[in-house]
Amino acid sequence: MTLQSIWDPEVDFGTPAVRDAVDTVSVSIDGRTVEVPEGTSVLRAATEAGVSIPKLCATDSLKAFGSCRMCLVEVDGAKGVPASCTTPCSDGMVVSTQTPAVQELRRNVMELYLSDHPEDCDGCARGNCEIQAMAVQVGAAEVRYGRPATRTEVAHPHAIDESNPYFAFDASSCIVCSRCVRACADTQGTFALTVEGRGFDSIISAGGTDFLASECVSCGACVQACPTSALQEKSVVQLGMPTRSVETTCAYCGVGCSFRADVQGDGPDAKVVRMVPSKNGGANEGHSCVKGRFAYGYAAHKDRQLSPMVRDTIDDEWRKVSWDEAIAKVADGFKALQAQHGVAAIGGISSSRCTNEEVYVVQKMVRAAFGNNNIDTCARVCHSPTGYGLKQTFGTSAGTQDFKSVEKSDVILLIGANPTDAHPVFASRMKRRLREGARLIVADPRRIDLVRSPHVEAAYHLPVLPGSNVAFVNSMAHVIVTEGLHDEEFVRERCEDADEYLAFIADASNSPEAMASATGIDPDELRAAARMFATAGNGAIYYGLGVTEHSQGSTMVMGMANLAMVTGNIGREGVGVNPLRGQNNVQGSCDMGSFPHEFPGYRHVSIDHVRATYEQLWGRTLDPEPGLRIPNMFDAALAGTFRGLYVQGEDIAQSDPNTQHVEAALRAMDLVVVQDLFLNETARFAHVFLPGTSFLEKDGTFTNAERRINRVRPVFPSKVGMDEWEITCAIGRAMGFDDMRYAAASEIMDEIAATTPTFAGVSFARLDELGSMQWPVYDEKSTGTPIMHIGEFVRGKGKLMETVFVPTTERSTRKFPLILTTGRILSQYNVGAQTRRTPNNTWHPEDVLEIHPADAEVRGISTGDLVDLSSRVGSTTLRAQVSERMPAGVVYTTFHHPVTGANVVTTENSDWATNCPEYKVTAVQVGVANVRGESAVAESREPADSHA
Amino acid sequence: MNQPPEARMGNDIARQFAHLPAPEAAAAIARHIENFWTPSMRRTLESLVAEGEDDLDPLLVDAAGRLAMEIPGAS
Repeated sequence: MTLQSIWDPEVDFGTPAVRDAVDTVSVSIDGRTVEVPEGTSVLRAATEAGVSIPKLCATDSLKAFGSCRMCLVEVDGAKGVPASCTTPCSDGMVVSTQTPAVQELRRNVMELYLSDHPEDCDGCARGNCEIQAMAVQVGAAEVRYGRPATRTEVAHPHAIDESNPYFAFDASSCIVCSRCVRACADTQGTFALTVEGRGFDSIISAGGTDFLASECVSCGACVQACPTSALQEKSVVQLGMPTRSVETTCAYCGVGCSFRADVQGDGPDAKVVRMVPSKNGGANEGHSCVKGRFAYGYAAHKDRQLSPMVRDTIDDEWRKVSWDEAIAKVADGFKALQAQHGVAAIGGISSSRCTNEEVYVVQKMVRAAFGNNNIDTCARVCHSPTGYGLKQTFGTSAGTQDFKSVEKSDVILLIGANPTDAHPVFASRMKRRLREGARLIVADPRRIDLVRSPHVEAAYHLPVLPGSNVAFVNSMAHVIVTEGLHDEEFVRERCEDADEYLAFIADASNSPEAMASATGIDPDELRAAARMFATAGNGAIYYGLGVTEHSQGSTMVMGMANLAMVTGNIGREGVGVNPLRGQNNVQGSCDMGSFPHEFPGYRHVSIDHVRATYEQLWGRTLDPEPGLRIPNMFDAALAGTFRGLYVQGEDIAQSDPNTQHVEAALRAMDLVVVQDLFLNETARFAHVFLPGTSFLEKDGTFTNAERRINRVRPVFPSKVGMDEWEITCAIGRAMGFDDMRYAAASEIMDEIAATTPTFAGVSFARLDELGSMQWPVYDEKSTGTPIMHIGEFVRGKGKLMETVFVPTTERSTRKFPLILTTGRILSQYNVGAQTRRTPNNTWHPEDVLEIHPADAEVRGISTGDLVDLSSRVGSTTLRAQVSERMPAGVVYTTFHHPVTGANVVTTENSDWATNCPEYKVTAVQVGVANVRGESAVAESREPADSHA
Repeated sequence: MNQPPEARMGNDIARQFAHLPAPEAAAAIARHIENFWTPSMRRTLESLVAEGEDDLDPLLVDAAGRLAMEIPGAS
């Protein structure tokens, strides 16, 4: 049972596993025979054979370095004592790891290490310093050269660097093995660390400054790689070593990293000592970012609400009540509203931060207990166009590849995404491939880090103007088709509507020259980039919200699908159309039937046989008509026809556009129920607050952007007394729908599998056995589908769509001459509800407005000034940051802090097909604020009407 | 421009199909609305058409007429 598991660190095999080896070789190590893939190191083969060879500079997350001279071995027929980490196995090789000669050499080397390693090393005392373990293993009982008794007596003592909020660097414990330097370079790809000096003067340096002021991104790779306690989590120093571990999944972005939660204690008082990325995690393979690795403290934050609360009006004080009373108030209130205003007068919003099982029961409650399809999810405001566009073109609403696929890409087209900030662990994979020689084309108005960063430089940065993505992607395809660079065979054999599409795209109106006034891109640059994408080998498209959050978000998704099909870049490794999903379970929440027109598995509610499946199982007649989307709910609330809302784990008052409109809609409702960890902005308008559970308390599954279903396991029991799915089920039952009884979350997945063909082979037991699976999993023989559309598209033939560019109606004007685009930053996540309650605020304590120097100069704005940001719907105040990352005419901000309320200025414009808000295009004006002082920001949020 | 939501969203949809021959465009618009809008939203659109709401795309007006024919009991 996972909750009771003991702490058992993952085995370190010393060097990475060899991938894609064709042959295996057989070697004998200390008399044990082991067969390994060709190219495997002797060190790894020995570990696999159960033979432990001492090591210090080697670890299986990094390529062999061969510097510590601890892993020496003897090989029959070979001269000398080679380092086993850098020696590949060959067939028939006979290796001896414990000869007197190598034992003597190791002891001598270890004595040298110990001669400058303090006896009062914290890690040695705690038992997590490999020096101590290796000294015991090699039998280095005495140090002929003496050993420093304290940290101040080492050859070159240095002050401990405690600048980073999460870890400290103590150079006195450091053996300068370079594992941290290599982890920063090879694993993370940031190159923030180096070795300064020589010999005893050698010291690890964060570029001549402290860690906080350096280029370090706090991914934790260096801490994980450190064999001593020189780099150590502060939480370990504070709490000590863990007593058990729980394998689970991160609750931040759509990469969905696997982690081992290292824990002390059991039951409600258990404490997380640290989160360590799992080497076996399919999404992250042992890597992490500052959010998943360190920013978990919010789960125990003092702001966390642990009791249900109710109030009669939103002006009343909250009153803590029992679960029974809270659930009765919700159920009775919703039933009364339906009795008075009709069945369609209430609805629900599910959360992409909740598990598949929690989301499934919410949509079940809405469809069966509420009796309507007024269920939507926060994917509405991020990737709903992905679902629509990829379903239309490929036949399924999901990305085509696994993350590992990027390792086979030759040219990467990155559109409207900033992976180093928003999907950092995947960005590290991508950067590794780019360092190996893959080419990169960045299409983004901002000069994001990937345009030029250490050892990575984009071949082309195409600063596409906000709102012109479709013009851009059509131009790319136009060049490829008119210059005969398309894959004619793929188009003819695997696609439909080829003639119509080829004629459409070849029209001169789609040429880069014709579209240049819309895109702002030099036609020659675009032509060169298009040629590179079509001819450089495996071409992969990665994209983010810079694609979807536009009035033509869905059209752009289809345009990218066209581009992939027309170049034959679908159906194998290294290619594909890859959405970088925002939230940890946004894919899953969509899969689970959270959209008002679809049951789980993306099946329209009007399909009789699908509806019959659920009607038979649930014993209820279900509505065959689509329900309200989130923005429709707001409109209906203001019209007086929508009166009650259940919101699970979303802060719509902060995250959704046109805040004034959202707040007015929430105010207009009679019963708003918020289920969340914290009293968020939406809770200001709630009548019932139901406390939710953090990911550390959940039992279930998340599905990441590569369709990977990962287990989420509880580290400690629910702090609120109920699991979230139990709360939802209790409401459903209280409303008279009795078929919401499950003994465990696994039973909910069993129901999902029984009713959803793409999940048919999924169960908790299989996930526990296999680690993870990528849907579709059509039966219990399948282990999942990492790459989709091999040989045939899900819909049969891929559909080439005529993606006509239709400019947004949101235009810059004399009154609002700039275009605002919004986005995310590395240290914060979404509305910041989690990360703002952690030391991640160290890096991003407030949202700032990035503005081009020319735009700033004409307005008299300098970095640090408070500025008014206003649009036709509202205004706010925030601090300016003059930046050449922005093109002239475009400004940028994030929406992580409610005090700045960036969405006060965003408008009701939305994607034509899905109503995903057009966050990326808002006409605005910026000027130096007339207000003074720190309170100015909070006091400045106003609707436009008050500025008349 | 404060249009009713159904008019604004309907016009947004209509603009995407404006490149098609008019009957084909109207049919596609109607199909999209039928797939993704609630019956009450569709009825609101039909009412706006009936009341002569300003600034409705002619293709949307045509599509709304098709919806009215397809939905039993709709106005």
